[in-house]
Amino acid sequence: MTNLALSFYILVWPMIVAIVLGVLVRAFVSELRAARREGRPLI
Amino acid sequence: MQLQQLGTPLTLLLLAVFFGGTFLISLSISRKRENADDYMTAGNHVGFGVSAASMTATWIWASSLYASATSGYTYGISGPIHYGLWGALMILFIYPFGKRIRTLAPHASSLAEILNARHGTSSQLILAGSNILGSTLSLTSNFIAGGALIAMLSPLSFSTGVAIIASGVLLYTLWSGLRASILTDFIQVCAMLGAVVIVVPTIFFAAGGPAIFEAGATHLTAEQQSFFSSEAFLNQGAPYIAAVLAYAIGNQTIAQRLFAVRPDKIKATFVTATIGYGTTVIGVGMLGVLALYLGVEPMNGDVNNLVPQLAAEYLGVAVLCIFFVMVIGSMASTADSDLSALSSIMMTDVYGRNIAASDRPDPRLMLLIGRATMIVATGAAVYFASARFNILELLVLVGAIWGALVFPVIASFYWNKVSNMAFTVSVLAALAVFFPVRFGWIALEGPVAFVSDLLAVIGVGVIAGLMAFGFFGPRVGRIAGILAAIAVLPFGMGFLHEYTVLTASLLAYAVSMLLCVAISWRSSEDFDFTRIAQATGRFDDGEDFDLAPVAATQGRPT
Repeated sequence: MTNLALSFYILVWPMIVAIVLGVLVRAFVSELRAARREGRPLI
Repeated sequence: MQLQQLGTPLTLLLLAVFFGGTFLISLSISRKRENADDYMTAGNHVGFGVSAASMTATWIWASSLYASATSGYTYGISGPIHYGLWGALMILFIYPFGKRIRTLAPHASSLAEILNARHGTSSQLILAGSNILGSTLSLTSNFIAGGALIAMLSPLSFSTGVAIIASGVLLYTLWSGLRASILTDFIQVCAMLGAVVIVVPTIFFAAGGPAIFEAGATHLTAEQQSFFSSEAFLNQGAPYIAAVLAYAIGNQTIAQRLFAVRPDKIKATFVTATIGYGTTVIGVGMLGVLALYLGVEPMNGDVNNLVPQLAAEYLGVAVLCIFFVMVIGSMASTADSDLSALSSIMMTDVYGRNIAASDRPDPRLMLLIGRATMIVATGAAVYFASARFNILELLVLVGAIWGALVFPVIASFYWNKVSNMAFTVSVLAALAVFFPVRFGWIALEGPVAFVSDLLAVIGVGVIAGLMAFGFFGPRVGRIAGILAAIAVLPFGMGFLHEYTVLTASLLAYAVSMLLCVAISWRSSEDFDFTRIAQATGRFDDGEDFDLAPVAATQGRPT
């Protein structure tokens, strides 16, 4: 593999992790808002 | 080699902020009137965001971060894939079985409890016993990892580190059980995933960026430079594939989250956790690959020191603090899950379904047992941690033992002819074959090697068949199993017995399947699966009781 491909191979994982983190935070915030709106506990 | 340290005041401040924060979150959801069922299952109705974060956080533990990096350092560029990918698939492959289990027992607290409803006490206690062993070892392993990290990055001693970690985790998990565990998991997963996003690129560029690969290529063998390394597959990947289903079936922490999540969010939760776990662990594993290219020698010859070593060498104090919180978060999130799992097993499988089986279980006593279990388990894990056993090796062994349980457990949830006798005999026989092979008590030579290879090939078929069965049904499962066994047969014979760790696991799968099928085939058992729903869960009918001295002393509204 070239240096560029190896660099991408190393750095692509943190990039995907960032996307997953975004999905989780977004879902959590929306569930928290819905729980507050309905006056029930989140869990 | 002198590593950069955080200093005692900064270390204590970080730990106080981390555990203080999680304790406050835990307090915010504690209830004056706690419910025994909710303590174990968080109400069976947790949403996608919280449950996916919790599943991800639970599956990522400190040892998996270190082990992935070790795999990268040992096997080169494909190493982290052979660790993280298969670990991630453990979560994915349990999903279809999880849906089935949730349908059969919507309010269950543990897999062992379902086995009690399906087969009776002996099957239940086999699974519950293996769960207790696995969770206690996992808890110990996390305390060791936390203590070692604190000892490496601060002037505090290993014992002090273990004591702080154990107290911190117990403090916030004790009062609200699984509810506290999964809510704090969200904060911990944010810390862990956020840290990976920052730490991995920072170390990469601080160490030299793309130029590392040119300067360090000489440090790698041809196998280590290959993305398709057979050495990495056979030594790291293949044993993990064998363990994929075993860990997911045998691990109560996963089952507990399965029972907590909203039924319509099971798929989204498992898929997201698969991606989250895989990318996080592989990402940290890349630090091992970088260490290999950089020619780093592990401190004191211990490869577990690689990740903290790189962090201490290439990160400034601010990012080193983030790294510290990442590892503490990974450790705490799994440790609190282990405590919740252990308390749930003792509450349900030991007290609820056995000691109090003839009477109606007392929810108040159940909660007391759950909390006492957490305290005793923490004490035991601190004691084991102080002895510094090779816990990871023991844990891998427990995972392999779970291989004996996988087929009988899954078959019990789908096939009404599987009896208690078939389950118990097949599991015990598989273990009787597993141990002598795993520990080399039997020499795999001549006819023994031939039989062993033949059974191991069947074991490959069982694993492939079960994986395909979960997603595509019995017909495809049978075809996939037979095709996989036929494909492996030509090169597996005369070869597989050379890899005893892998062979022992495959034998456990094969023997348990053959005996379970043989005994069940002629069985007159005709189990009605609808009976499971009525016989599981619902220990607490809502008769409330005051149990919150903490809530009162904190002056919070209750």
